[in-house]
Amino acid sequence: MTLETEVQSLRQVPMFRDVDPARLKLLAFTSERVQFAGGQRFFSQGDPSDAAYVILDGRASVLLNTPGGDIQVAELGSNALVGEMGILSDTPRSATIMAAEPTTALRIDKRVFLELLAQFPQMSLAIMRELAKRLERTNAQLVAQSSS
Amino acid sequence: MEKSLFRYIWTHSKRDQMIICAVVLASLPFYFMSLDLPRQIVNQAIQGEAFRDGNPTAPFLNLSFDWPGWLGGGGSWEIFEGFQVGRVGLLMGLSFVFLFFVIVNGAFKYWINVSKGVLGERMLRRMRFDLFSMVLRFTPDALRTVKSSETATIIKDEVEPIGGFIGDAFITPVFLGTQAITALVFIMVQNVWLGLIALSVIAVQFTIIPRLRRELLRLGKQRQLASRQLAGRIAEVLDGIEVVHVHNAYGWERAEIGHRLFNLFTIRLKIYNRKFFVKTLNNFLAQLTPFFFYAIGGYFALRGTLDIGQLVAVIAAYRELPPPLKELIDWDQQRLDVQVKYDQVTQHFAEDRLGPLLESREAGEADQPLTGSFVGEDIRIAGPHGDLIIEGGAFTIELPTSVALISNGGAAASMLARILARRSLEFSGRIRIGERDLTQLPMAVTGHRIAYAGVDPILFPGSIRDNLVYGLRSKPLGRLKEDRQEMDRRIAEALRTGNPIESISDQWVDYERLGAKDENELDRILLDLLDKVGMGDTIYLFGLAGRIDPERHTSLAERLVEARHRLRDTFQSNGMADLVEPFDPACYNSQATIAENLLFGVPISDEFKGRNLADNAQFRDAIDRAEMTDDLVRMGLQIAETMTEIFEGLPPGHSLFEQFSFIGADELTEFEAILRRRGRGEGSLRREDRTRLLSLPLAYIEARHRLGLLDDAMTGRIVEARGLVREVLEKAGSAGVEFYDPEGICSAAPLRDNLLFGRVSYQVANARARVAEAVAAVVRELNLQEEVERVGLEYQVGTAGRLLSPQERASVNLVRCLVKRPDILVIDGALAPFDEARSQQLMQLLLDLLDQQSLFMVLPNDRQAGDFDVQMRFRDGQIITDKTAAPAPRPSMPEPDAPQRIAGEVA
Repeated sequence: MTLETEVQSLRQVPMFRDVDPARLKLLAFTSERVQFAGGQRFFSQGDPSDAAYVILDGRASVLLNTPGGDIQVAELGSNALVGEMGILSDTPRSATIMAAEPTTALRIDKRVFLELLAQFPQMSLAIMRELAKRLERTNAQLVAQSSS
Repeated sequence: MEKSLFRYIWTHSKRDQMIICAVVLASLPFYFMSLDLPRQIVNQAIQGEAFRDGNPTAPFLNLSFDWPGWLGGGGSWEIFEGFQVGRVGLLMGLSFVFLFFVIVNGAFKYWINVSKGVLGERMLRRMRFDLFSMVLRFTPDALRTVKSSETATIIKDEVEPIGGFIGDAFITPVFLGTQAITALVFIMVQNVWLGLIALSVIAVQFTIIPRLRRELLRLGKQRQLASRQLAGRIAEVLDGIEVVHVHNAYGWERAEIGHRLFNLFTIRLKIYNRKFFVKTLNNFLAQLTPFFFYAIGGYFALRGTLDIGQLVAVIAAYRELPPPLKELIDWDQQRLDVQVKYDQVTQHFAEDRLGPLLESREAGEADQPLTGSFVGEDIRIAGPHGDLIIEGGAFTIELPTSVALISNGGAAASMLARILARRSLEFSGRIRIGERDLTQLPMAVTGHRIAYAGVDPILFPGSIRDNLVYGLRSKPLGRLKEDRQEMDRRIAEALRTGNPIESISDQWVDYERLGAKDENELDRILLDLLDKVGMGDTIYLFGLAGRIDPERHTSLAERLVEARHRLRDTFQSNGMADLVEPFDPACYNSQATIAENLLFGVPISDEFKGRNLADNAQFRDAIDRAEMTDDLVRMGLQIAETMTEIFEGLPPGHSLFEQFSFIGADELTEFEAILRRRGRGEGSLRREDRTRLLSLPLAYIEARHRLGLLDDAMTGRIVEARGLVREVLEKAGSAGVEFYDPEGICSAAPLRDNLLFGRVSYQVANARARVAEAVAAVVRELNLQEEVERVGLEYQVGTAGRLLSPQERASVNLVRCLVKRPDILVIDGALAPFDEARSQQLMQLLLDLLDQQSLFMVLPNDRQAGDFDVQMRFRDGQIITDKTAAPAPRPSMPEPDAPQRIAGEVA
């Protein structure tokens, strides 16, 4: 797997869809590709947010810490972006991410990511657009829930 | 220092000066002979005066003296009647005698010059040492105004010309003066009138030139001060560079230095103009005399009152006259010049700025433990502005004890602490320990029995160990083996120049006093103390990053390979095998750079490091032979293309460049130009372009950069090329690279690389921390921790300890005090860099460690004073001492967490 394939993966992430290919390449180049063994944690709930991850290969579980122990609330597959909200809002991790099987991910460092955003407004716009879309979706869901 | 430079020189070198003078005088007859010979050759041999009476032969080497008239006269005394030779024989004979004298004169000159040079160097050494001794004696008052960089400039640069002059101080006037007088006398003997002409021109030279040069001296003085201040200012800016950055004062600083340089230039320009004007005038006057000789001497010769031989000899003699004269005038100029310099130097080290002579050696009977009643009476301490801070203060304390000096925001506690530590003597009153007056204790006693740790931990460049044992080096205890002859020479020179005869390679550390047998035990004591003050982990990490010297760390070196295997086994058995990719002579290491894979070793010399490798002829030769150059250049092109593409648009100097790019921001355009040239199809690449491109893939790590440049075929070829690279380098006798050996130590690589013998994977999440833990576990298991930490003691602290954090500096400072085992330890703000919890812990530690000795500690308030036996307060200029009613039982030191977790990254 090379930089090119990682760029292809990044392309599949909605948040990065509209970003200029050269910038995606820079993003991929400045990120690290890391492997997690099955059961190894990306990070734990409450940890400081230091990076976002794009899953390149494998699956990971999203776990929430409850008084009754960890419960799995979702599962992430290839091309999923995780941990981006934490680094954007500068809040601790809201959930634990654990590799469900041997998993390869692209680790995007927080500092590098924010610097890229500061440097390239076009990238920031793409992110904002995606966040706005998410908000819209959430609103729609709320409306749907309240009307049901 | 002597007020007069000449007296200083004479006091310290009269013997040498006189010997050289004697030789100079002994050389004069030969000089005179060589002047007289040309006349003889012309008159007797060429013109044939010796054969005038039709003699076919004439005596050669006839040694006879005519009795001077006042001894009766008339008769002559023949020592050797000489050989009878023909005309050609006489010419040849006389010419060879001339040649002989030329050689003898040359030999004399050589010896005199060498002796003068050596004499000058010795005096320079003495003078520099004297000045340095005075640096150690500067009073606290003087130190407030003395600039360190100016002082350094004085000792290094300003005395240099003085040293150069010393060799000439007495000899030059003697030598040149006698030479000039000889030549002048010779001319006089030949023809009085010509002699008088020469004499009068010289008289003019000697009166006018020095007058003109007086202005030069004044300018020289100005220049010396201006350049000294320039050096001082540059050092100030450098020391305060942070403030310059913070307040964006570049413009101002640049203008300020620019202005100074302008002033300096102006002064130098004036000097320059004047100097060459004087020189021109001097040359003119010197040439005036030959004019008279040719005109007047020629006239006499035509008239027949002067024979041509005489005229030739006079002109030859005169040719010899100007150089000595010129040099003599130069000497006089130099004399005044260095006298000015010397005055400037002695002013800097004026007596009123210096303290009493240091006598740090003899402790004698006074060297008794500083215990017993510690009594202060009628103490008056004045503040910096003359206000009285303590007036009529008194105290009585039984030592050993622990005393809290509670400042409550005032200056009194700190000032008293400095007085107790003998850092300051600016008080009146009496302070006694037992029967001894504190201020009268010799330095040898206080240096050994009192320690002081102030706010500013002063560290010297060198290793941590050097800094820790600094307080133990009061005098040399034993001589290490030294080449006997070399030692005698060193000591003889030291005695001749007033330097100390001790060598720093002697054993200076008093192990016995510390209860240590040798260096190793001392290290153990140091490590124990460092661990106690909380610096153990740091030292361990320094050790892992340090390099081992197989000579010094023999036992560690022996066991390192074992530890390496153990670590590998641990990785295998714990399923961590993919965390570290080992260096294997037969495999490509995808976690390492291509350069590292090609060299399979660690560069020692700079020409094999980083980008220089691409330029290294031997390395290029090797990869050429392996037919890899074209492939690597192709990779370089790919990297350059990718980098220019993805880093385009980032402003130069952006931190991402530094962190990630192969190419610096400023090089980006150059690589773009290379790519463009290639794109336009301008044939093959230029040689420099190829070298630049070649340097890119050398830093490429497949696992990290993931550009997909390497396939199995390529990695296989790189591994094959390894052998060739090694072969070529070894054949060329290059010592620039130390190669990896799975069963041996690579002393050029850090300790941790030697342990891992591989690279931590970039791809496995959290690999570094896990590897670090595994390494720590193995190190503990094999009991190597102390050895590793011992390597850590060799960590270099940098200028003023800047390579350490403030907390580390403060810790080193504390341990330096503790390791001396002082009877009295004074702590005044040394714990300031630590947070409250740490400083509380350290305070307890100090109280525990010094329960048999005395601890004086300045505290900001009495919150923590309860742990001390005695509390000292300062109110209305009085000193109030209270015994703490019942000192709180000291909680024992919290046990260090066992087993200790060693944090930090390992690779």
